[in-house]
Amino acid sequence: MRKLMLSLAGVFLLFLLPDLLYAQGKTVTGKVTDISGLPMAGVSVSVLKSTQGTVTDADGKFKIQVADNASIVFSFTGFKSQTFKVSDASGDLSIKMEEDIGKLEEVVVMGLATTVKRKNLSNAVGTISAKQLNGVAPAQTFDAALNGKIPGAYINANSGAPGGGLSVKLRGVTSIFGNTQPLYVVDGVFMDNTATSGGLNAVTQAAAGGNASTQDNPSSRIADLRAEDIQNIEILKGASAAAIYGSRAAAGVIIITTKRGSQGKTKISFSQDFGFAKARHLLGVRQFTAETAGSLSSDPETSAALSQQFTEAKAAGKLYDYEKEIYGNTGFMRNSVLSVTGGGEKTSFYFSAAQKDEEGIVKGTGYRNTSLRLNLDHKITDNIKIGLSTNYVNSSSDRGLTGNDNTGTSYSISLSSTPNFVDLHPDQYGNYPINPFSASNVLQTIALMTNNESVNRFTTGINLDAILQKSNKSTTRLIGRGGIDFYSLYTTALFPRELQFQNVNKGTSIQGATQNLNTNSILSLVNVYNASDNLAFTTSAGVTQETGDYNNLLNVATQVAPGQSNIDQGGALTGQQFRNKFQNEGIFVQEEVSINDALNVNAGVRFDRSTNNGDATKFYTYPKAGASLNLTKLGVLDKSIFNNIKLRAAYGQSANFPAYGSKFTTLVSSNTDGLQGSIVNVQGGDPNIKPERQAEFETGIDFSMANSKVNFEITYYRKKIFDFLLLATVPPSSGFSQKFVNAGDLQNSGLEVGINAQPISTKAIKWTTSLNFWFNRSKVTKLTIPPVILGSFGTSLGTFRIEEGKSATQIVGNDAPTHPSGEIVVLGNQEPTFQMNTFNEITFKNRLSLRFLIHWKNGGDNVNLTNLLNDFGQTSADFDADDNGNNIPNGPERIGSFLGGSARGFVQDAGYVRFREIGLYYSFSKIPGNVVRGLRVGVALNNYITFTKYAGYDPEVSNFGTGFSTGVDVDPYPASKRASLNITIDF
Amino acid sequence: MKRIVNFPIVLLLLIAVSITSCKKEYGNLNSPTVEDYLKNASKDQLNSLVVGSLAGMRNNDGLYLDAVGIIGREMYRFSNADPRYVTELLGSAPLNNTGFYITNPWASRYRVVKNCNVLIDAATNSSLISDAERNGYLGFAKTIKAFELLLNLNLTYTNGIRVDVADPNNLGPILSFDESITAIASLLDEAKNNLNGSSIVYPLTSGFAGLDDVTGFIKFNRALAARVDVYRQKWDLALTDLGASFFDLSGDFATGAYEVFGTGSGDQLNSAYFPQNQNGEVRLSHPTFVTDMEEGDDRISKATLRSTPASNAGLSGDRDIWVYTSSTAPIPIVRNEELMLIYAEANIQIANFDEAVKAINVVRNGHGIGNYTGAMEKEALVNEMLDQRRFSLFFEGHRWIDMRRYQKLGELPIDRPGDQVWSAMPIPITEGQ
Repeated sequence: MRKLMLSLAGVFLLFLLPDLLYAQGKTVTGKVTDISGLPMAGVSVSVLKSTQGTVTDADGKFKIQVADNASIVFSFTGFKSQTFKVSDASGDLSIKMEEDIGKLEEVVVMGLATTVKRKNLSNAVGTISAKQLNGVAPAQTFDAALNGKIPGAYINANSGAPGGGLSVKLRGVTSIFGNTQPLYVVDGVFMDNTATSGGLNAVTQAAAGGNASTQDNPSSRIADLRAEDIQNIEILKGASAAAIYGSRAAAGVIIITTKRGSQGKTKISFSQDFGFAKARHLLGVRQFTAETAGSLSSDPETSAALSQQFTEAKAAGKLYDYEKEIYGNTGFMRNSVLSVTGGGEKTSFYFSAAQKDEEGIVKGTGYRNTSLRLNLDHKITDNIKIGLSTNYVNSSSDRGLTGNDNTGTSYSISLSSTPNFVDLHPDQYGNYPINPFSASNVLQTIALMTNNESVNRFTTGINLDAILQKSNKSTTRLIGRGGIDFYSLYTTALFPRELQFQNVNKGTSIQGATQNLNTNSILSLVNVYNASDNLAFTTSAGVTQETGDYNNLLNVATQVAPGQSNIDQGGALTGQQFRNKFQNEGIFVQEEVSINDALNVNAGVRFDRSTNNGDATKFYTYPKAGASLNLTKLGVLDKSIFNNIKLRAAYGQSANFPAYGSKFTTLVSSNTDGLQGSIVNVQGGDPNIKPERQAEFETGIDFSMANSKVNFEITYYRKKIFDFLLLATVPPSSGFSQKFVNAGDLQNSGLEVGINAQPISTKAIKWTTSLNFWFNRSKVTKLTIPPVILGSFGTSLGTFRIEEGKSATQIVGNDAPTHPSGEIVVLGNQEPTFQMNTFNEITFKNRLSLRFLIHWKNGGDNVNLTNLLNDFGQTSADFDADDNGNNIPNGPERIGSFLGGSARGFVQDAGYVRFREIGLYYSFSKIPGNVVRGLRVGVALNNYITFTKYAGYDPEVSNFGTGFSTGVDVDPYPASKRASLNITIDF
Repeated sequence: MKRIVNFPIVLLLLIAVSITSCKKEYGNLNSPTVEDYLKNASKDQLNSLVVGSLAGMRNNDGLYLDAVGIIGREMYRFSNADPRYVTELLGSAPLNNTGFYITNPWASRYRVVKNCNVLIDAATNSSLISDAERNGYLGFAKTIKAFELLLNLNLTYTNGIRVDVADPNNLGPILSFDESITAIASLLDEAKNNLNGSSIVYPLTSGFAGLDDVTGFIKFNRALAARVDVYRQKWDLALTDLGASFFDLSGDFATGAYEVFGTGSGDQLNSAYFPQNQNGEVRLSHPTFVTDMEEGDDRISKATLRSTPASNAGLSGDRDIWVYTSSTAPIPIVRNEELMLIYAEANIQIANFDEAVKAINVVRNGHGIGNYTGAMEKEALVNEMLDQRRFSLFFEGHRWIDMRRYQKLGELPIDRPGDQVWSAMPIPITEGQ
């Protein structure tokens, strides 16, 4: 008991200690400006080796009480930190902050619980700042906001449908049947990014054709995240940086840090956007004549009737451009964000409430997102800190019905066979006429159907940081991080019985309910041991656990009572359920050594096991190691030309789980005569299925020139994937048709070059720019099974083919004119030749700021089948033109080429140069009164200008959604461009 | 060194220990797995495999009947979706080892074989059933397996089949026709031995009405054995096996075992059924089916006159196939009328002509065309027997196989110059041969 009292007293003393120490110091005042002399507000002014600190006010001024022998550190995101000894101070301090153009001072994650300054990093870790993410021209969803911003990534929007749905591939294809998408970690919480289909296939029958994918094009769940809440994003592109995340990291890790409060006056900020969205590009429609209308039928009688119908429609002024009618809507958008931050000595907070509502370019489609976030930080004692991040999101997307189908029901497929002289408009009673040219009347479908995804998502993360031991040389911390990510997704697809194509089913209601719970926790101990001023060791070790529990129910009711949607109002009901559950556990150890701040070496290993693996108890080992050597710091190089030269290299391993259930041979239901039966599935299981292993090596050089005004970062990587999984065809006498196998090895290698510079820095104009260049090349280095065709509709239309010695993303097909006996030839490659982006900010007199992001994707082919479908429907805009002057109109010529056995015409260059974001903002400096502190107005253009030779709606497209196969274009929801006006008021 | 807090270390260790100890396997959450069933299957699980096998026997059976019916010149099949019914199957283009007509039925039959093998292993491993019950399951599995293998051998004939497919990673060789048919015969015998004295505790469909107990199922097994016997030209054996089957000269033609169809959940419809007078997707009887028929034969009802003739690719016909007259009409596996004609055939071959004609006359009179009046010698009787099989077993998958075993494929009609009658289908390319 006495011991306890004593230690309590000790703890009490510890609290008092700072006050006792600093009470007898002196007051330091001063002003912080940038290089050009403009005052800087919000600069953190802290006392070294203490918890004391303040921030500068709007005029850049500060005041702080410190001990005589203390040192003050001035720091501000994006600027180099400065340390100032109080003993040197006299009068008002004048601090000039220098911009950290090369981001060398930026703190970057090193492991699950440690960080390192970029200048000491052994990897090329990409970062996206809040300004880059959301400060130029805000995107509709979080995934769209990443587009064009990650060097080394291939990001592609699947369609223009509201609510997102993008594929993010970091450093090439990492898996063919496994997960290709990175792991998203938000404030330590592993976020689920599953795309759940709404079951539209029950109506579209898309899977009944040449590809078994449902092609439902759902959105990815990461779309729900609010870009406005994000402070910073770090991107670990491969195993060399991400190995410590183990089996989840094979496709890279995107680490997202949200905004947090800091000590000081409570700041309230309100931001409002208004804007509109329009179709980026329409294909146009065929202008019929009496003659061409007649040619729609080969039957003379019908032909004459069609000509007559055209002539009458023309006389009555009833020729329509249905493409414009469908996709020509100008969607109104609004977005409001209220954020409040502040904090006291012990507790700080960030709160935001936001709502956006955006209409799509098709009536009845749109996206709505409401989000609440509260991030709290509390110091229990000086040694124990706890942080809490909570987020609630409600989102709702109405996505319409577009893309491939086999029933003529999607807007776009129906449009492809609807000529301009048929009248689809409703009569005075609201009855829509039957469209004789298609299975559906697209105007009726748009007016009456529903396809909604609605999400309620709660995410909570907890972060505990406790100092267990502290001495002059050594500090040991316990870091605990964990979180839960829960969402409930409800999909509703309603097709009322009045619809033309519901004449058999008499009303279809498809209702899907999905619940997903992910949890994860990390507990680790971190020891920092400063053996001397020049030698520091950081040791960390810990355990991790991740669980996932996904449950999807899908009900399809047909013969639904008029005006009803509940499934019990239907005459027939079929249901299906899919569940997925996993538990992963890991143990990791990591050591980082810093010698002279010049040589940094790190090594770590993670042991991982998972219920997804063939053997759930087996631990797999994922090592990593890296080193960086700063030649300038070492003093071997002259500082006059190069300010900072760093050589770095890193190696790491990771893995990707086998597809869920691939280790089992399942029995499927097969009933007869009212008896329940089970029969082996056509897909065989393999109890020995192994994870896909990945080993990545990267090396690079970073250097700065011209007094750190120009910074280069050059990285080469080689990423090998061993035992990649393929669904292989097996001899059917085994009872199975296919089976997952570890089929071979593949390799990605590439180069990433980044330049950050500040070419102009005067009081009047400041220009900061970054330029990135990158490319990736993939190759299947080993394949133990015969080549596999996948990812599209077969060789007659152009498809992917996994083949030893070839690029994993090659597009092959038949080309009868050159290869008449039906051999398969390479027609293209989906991988871009290279990509570039440049982000620029030009500021005039610190008030007017022009920011823009240009993204250039050079090369990279799509399989464009949209035009083929329009040709088959005889409605392509250039159907009657004759581009090559051979007297055969384009339409019949292209169809003839396809029927003649050539897929060459479908494989098209999908390169583009796109002004992804342009923003012009003005900040008012002198605002009367003292309620409003700041006011900013701006205009923003998102995806507004695109240069491309691609003949579809947009070069960014993916009929098969997010996965291995991207760039297959089958009548998608057209991409939109957006413009908005923004007003932000700070209180 | 000052220790500030130490309880988290203990906490950390505790959690580390608890994490590493709470490891579990989730198994498959969405459906049962073969691995589960092989451990120690319950009776209900085994029964589920029995029903699944019966249900699986129906997969692609419409396509099987089409393929053997087209090559055996019983019928034409027109399809907008696939021209190969009127090209490759009729011999105007070579048969392809990737063709749907072989790959799909082949895979479906072996899937049932696999299911039977799982049933055999599961029943063998189960400690929850008696030996008699175990033998009941084994007898069922081997009988069905033999039948499924026979259907594939019917397709590939001299190209053979794999019989040993128990281990998917180590498949047995492809055997010759003789080896294969012998293996099928011994599998049926093994099954009979298992069934003798066994106990059947699994449900069979209404297609096995009257054959759904041990005695009945042995009769079904022997009926199949009799068919295999005549395919092997084991005439005496055929008569013995007929004696142990449900063969009954005075019985109903239709008595036998059937695949049944239904509209229930997870059930399927008869894919050999098309409505009459349909366009686009059409099954026509071969014109000679009716022209070769004797006056007054009631079996003409199997080929009904269309309201308008159908034609495609230089072929035409005016009679729909009308054997399966609804989408839930059953398809025979083996029935008494075939057994009568097997009885006739075996007796012809052992020169017991009177007994043979007795059986032929039962069939003839049953269809309204009176007694046989032809010569009482082997060749004439064989032709008569083949004719009766042709009309009685129309679109039940026999004509091509029958003409083949009597080396009479050359007698089948050729409709277009360049067409030919195939004797065997190729082994699917995916078998890697």
